[in-house]
Amino acid sequence: MGNVTLPDIGLADYTLDNLARLKQLRKKCVGAKAEVCIERARLVTEYLRGLSNDTEPMITRYAGAVAYFLSHKASLFFDDNLLAGTTTSKYFGAPVYPEFTGMAIWPELDTISGRKRNPLKLSPADAETLNFKIFPYWMDRSILERTRARFKNPPAMKLFERIVFFLAGKAGCISHTVPCYAKALRVGLTSMIEEATEKERTIAAQGPLGEEERKSADFYRAVQIALKGILAYAGNLAAAARNLAASEPDPWRRENYRKMAEVCERVPANAARTFREALNSLWLIQVAIHAENINMAMSPGRLDQVLYPYYRRDMDEGGLDLGEAMELIGCLWLKFNDNANLVPETAEELFGGAGTVPAVTVGGVDTEGADAVNDLTYLMLRVTELLTTRDPNLNARYHYERNPKAYRDRLAEVIANTQSVPAIHNDVVDIEVMRTHEVKVEHSRDYAIIGCVELASAGRSYDASSSIILNLVSVLELTLYNGRRPVTGDKLISIETGDPSAFKTFGEFLEAFQKQLAWMIEQAVGLNNMFGAVYQEFLPSPLLSAFFEGPMDKGRDLIFGGALYNSSGSTHVGFADTVDSLSAVETAVFTQKKCTFPDLLTALKADFKGYEKLHAWLVNRTPRYGTDDPVAVRNSQELIRFLHDTYCPHENYRGGRFKPAFWTMTNHAGQGQLSGALPNGRRARRNLASGITPVSQAACRLEECLRAVGGLDGLHIPGGVALNLKYPVVDVTDPQDVARFGSAVEAYFRAGGLHIQFNIMSYEMLIEAKEDKTKHPELLVRVSGYSAKFNDLNEAMKDEIITRSAYDLRKGMLVPFPGGFTAMLPFEPEQGPCAVPKPSGISTFRKGD
Amino acid sequence: MPQTLWNLLLLRTRRARKGIEKIVRCLESEFTEETLELLLKGMSLVFAVSEKYRKNIEGFVGRYVFRSEDESFVVSAAFDKGKMSVRKGELADPNIRVYFSNSHALLNFIFSPKPDVLSAILNQEVTPDGNLNYLYKFAYMANHLRLKGIELL
Repeated sequence: MGNVTLPDIGLADYTLDNLARLKQLRKKCVGAKAEVCIERARLVTEYLRGLSNDTEPMITRYAGAVAYFLSHKASLFFDDNLLAGTTTSKYFGAPVYPEFTGMAIWPELDTISGRKRNPLKLSPADAETLNFKIFPYWMDRSILERTRARFKNPPAMKLFERIVFFLAGKAGCISHTVPCYAKALRVGLTSMIEEATEKERTIAAQGPLGEEERKSADFYRAVQIALKGILAYAGNLAAAARNLAASEPDPWRRENYRKMAEVCERVPANAARTFREALNSLWLIQVAIHAENINMAMSPGRLDQVLYPYYRRDMDEGGLDLGEAMELIGCLWLKFNDNANLVPETAEELFGGAGTVPAVTVGGVDTEGADAVNDLTYLMLRVTELLTTRDPNLNARYHYERNPKAYRDRLAEVIANTQSVPAIHNDVVDIEVMRTHEVKVEHSRDYAIIGCVELASAGRSYDASSSIILNLVSVLELTLYNGRRPVTGDKLISIETGDPSAFKTFGEFLEAFQKQLAWMIEQAVGLNNMFGAVYQEFLPSPLLSAFFEGPMDKGRDLIFGGALYNSSGSTHVGFADTVDSLSAVETAVFTQKKCTFPDLLTALKADFKGYEKLHAWLVNRTPRYGTDDPVAVRNSQELIRFLHDTYCPHENYRGGRFKPAFWTMTNHAGQGQLSGALPNGRRARRNLASGITPVSQAACRLEECLRAVGGLDGLHIPGGVALNLKYPVVDVTDPQDVARFGSAVEAYFRAGGLHIQFNIMSYEMLIEAKEDKTKHPELLVRVSGYSAKFNDLNEAMKDEIITRSAYDLRKGMLVPFPGGFTAMLPFEPEQGPCAVPKPSGISTFRKGD
Repeated sequence: MPQTLWNLLLLRTRRARKGIEKIVRCLESEFTEETLELLLKGMSLVFAVSEKYRKNIEGFVGRYVFRSEDESFVVSAAFDKGKMSVRKGELADPNIRVYFSNSHALLNFIFSPKPDVLSAILNQEVTPDGNLNYLYKFAYMANHLRLKGIELL
C-alpha cells in the first residue's frame, strides 16, 4: 500500500479560487507571448571566443562557458512565484543555442516577431547582436557543420537534409533524458563538488597520467567548474532577492523575497531541509542544465517520489499544509512553462505547438515493486487539473496489480476534467520491456518518462530518445517506386529492389520493403553515430553528467558512455498507414487479385482519379490495423519485429543499442503533406496516422482497437509508443462512466498496451475550435506524446486531431465522422471501412472502375 | 573635400538608390534566371555603396554557387575583403552549392518575404549541398535588403 493519507484524493476543496496566487500566476502564464532570449548565446559565445582558447581540453572549456553564463546570467523576478530562478532573461523566453539549431532563425531575424505561426518577439538590438556578433562565430562550429566537415558531407547527411526520409535528432540536440535530482537534494552541490575534487586529486596522485586517466581528471575538473556556476547563480539570486526585499513596499512580496533569498543561500549548495527548499533546489538545477543542454524534453522524472521525503517531513512537523504544498507545486509547474523552443517557421509546421516537454512522472511502483502512489501523487494530479498548462507533460504510471483502483479512476477523472492529461503508462509491461533490455529490475521499476512517451531509468540511463525520426511511408514509397519517391522526383534515392510489377508474391514485395527499410535504418544509424562522435569531440556535458549514476564512478562524461545504461531512440512515422498499405497490397494484388501491381501504381500516381471503384475497394475491403483481421495483425506484428531485430545489432557511439519507438509529435501531419497516395486508399498529401494509433476511422470497435494495439509485442518496442484515442464525452459525475474509462485502460494494459492518451472532445467541438479561434482559446490537446494549444497547431495538425477516431465510451463503438468535413479524412469515399454494407460484385478493377 | 569627390559620392548614392529601387521592383515582379543574376549584382552594388549594409560582410569570406538542376544556368557569388563579386559559371570550393528546380523557386527561397529555407527544402524545390549556415546568412542579407531597401543608404 502506498503512502496515502488524504481523506479526499480528489482534493475537491482546493480550487483556483482558494489558491488565489496560483490563479493570478496562471493568468499571466497562459497569456504570455514568447520572446527570443539571446543572453545565453551572447555569454557562451563571448567566453568561447575571447576568454578561453583551443589549447584547453574541450570538456573544461565548455564547462567554463556554461559556468560563465550561469554566473553572469541576470537574476530576475518577474512575478509572485515562490520559487527563484528563470531559464532565460525573459518572462517567457526562447533561448538561442547557436551550437545546435539556433542558426536556422538567421533568415528570419527581421521577420520572426511578426511571422504568422507562433511569432517570437525579438528586439532590433538583439537581432543585430545575433547577426553581427554571435552567429558569425558559429558559421563553421555548429554541430551539424562540424559533422559535415569532419565526415566530408556524407551521403547520409544529404539524405537527412531532404527531410522527407528521416530526421537526425542530434543535428538539433541530444537532451531528451531524465536526470535524477535526488542526490543533489539530499547532499547538496557543495558535497558533489568536493566528491569531484577528491576524485580528481586521487587520479593526480597516481603520478604520470595515461590518456584515459587524463580524460577522467579533466572530466572531474569540468564537473567542479560547471557545478560552481550553479552555485554562483544561486548566490546572485539570493543577493538580488535581498536587495528587492529591502526596497519592496508590499509586505507579502517583501517577505517572499526574503524567503527566496534565504532559500537560495541554502540550496542547491546544501542539502534541502524543507519542501520549499527541495522544490527550489530542483528548479535551479533544471535551469542550470539548460545552460549546457538545449531545452528539449529535459525531463525531471518521478517528482512524487523524489520530493516525497521533504513533503512528508514538513507535513508531519506542521511546517506545511496541503494548500501551501499545492501552491508550491503549482509554482514549479508554472516555472516549467517559462521557456519555449526556438524554431524556424517551417519547423513549426513539423513540430508545431510543442512546448519544451519536460515530462513529470507520477505513480506506479517503487524499486521494490510495491505501490508507490502517495499523497504527493494526488496533489500533483490536482494541481495539473487546476492549472491545465501546456507543460509539464504529466505522465501517470499505472500498475494494475499494485496500484489501487481509486488511483486508476482518479486518473480517468483528471483526464476527463482537463480533457487531455495525464497520459497513462503500463507499469507491468514497461518494467518488463526495460528488464529484457538489460536494465536491472530495481532500476526498471524506477523508470520515468522522457519528453513524450519514452522510457528511462531515471538518472541511470542516457537514452537520447529522439535520435532518429524515420518515415516508414517514405520507405514504402521507395519500395513501390524501386528506390525513388514521387516527392523527390526521378532521382534514385536508395537502392533498387526491383519493379514491384514484376513481383509474383507478396513475400517478394515484403522482402523488397524490408531491404529498403534496412538500408534506410543503416543510413540513419550511421549518421547518428557520426553526430555522436562530433559531440564527443566538441560538446561534452559535464554538468548533466553530475546528475546521473555512472559518470562520477567511471570518471567519464555521459557523452562517452558514462551512464549506467546507454541507448539511442529511433521513432517511426506512418506505422499504421504502412501496415495497412502492406495489407492492401497483399490482399488486392496477390490474394484476391482485385488489381494488378501496374494498375495499382498507376492509380497511386493518379491519386486514384479515374480509379474510384478500386479506391473504394481498397478503403472498404482491405484488412485494417486496429481490428482483429489476421492479415492486419500479422503485418503489424511483423513490422514491429523487423524493426526491433534490424536495430538490435547496431551499436551507438556510447556502446548502447538503438531502441525503436512509435511516437510522432506532429511529424505525421508534416510528412503526410509530402507523401503520395498509398495502397490503403489514403489520398496524396493527407495526414498520416499518429504514433502507434490506427488510421482514423479504420477501427470500428473500441475493444478490438485496444486488443490490436495492445497485442503488439511490447518487448519489441523498448522506445515507447503513443496511442491516441478520443472520447466525445466522459461524465465525471457518473461513477459508471469513470469506471468504464478506467476499465478500458486496464483492459488495454492487460492485453499488453504500453501507453494511452486521450482527448475528451467531440469532432464537432474541435471543428468549431478550428473554424473560430476565439471559441476555445485555451484548448489544450494531446498531440502525439505532448500537449499543445489547439490554436498553435498548423491546419493539417488540427485536421488530424479532429479526425482521430472518437469512440462512444458507453457503446464501445466508433462515432461516425460528421458529413461535410470528409476532406479532412485520410481517405474517401465517406463510408470508410466501418460503414456497412459494402458489396462490390466486381472481381477485378481497371482504370475507370 | 574636393568637389569632384563629393560629386562622385553623390552620383554613387543616386545610382545605389536607383539600384535598390530596381531590386525591390524585381522582387515584386516575375522572376527569370536573368533576374537572379541581376539581383545578385544589385546586392553587390549595395554592398559597395552602403556602409551599413557592408557591415554584414566585413571579415566574411564565403563562396556560393547557384545552379539549376538541368545545369543550364550557373551563377556564383563570392564574398571577400568586404566585397561581393558575381559571375556566371561555377566557383571552385564553394561553401555551399544550391540546386534549384526553377529560378522562381530559388528566388522565392532566398528573396522571399517569408525567407524560409526549410520550406523550400521540404518542397524539394531547392536542394542545398554544403554548409547551411552560409545559406542562412545569405538569406538574411537578401531579405534584409528587401525589407530595408533605401533605408540602408
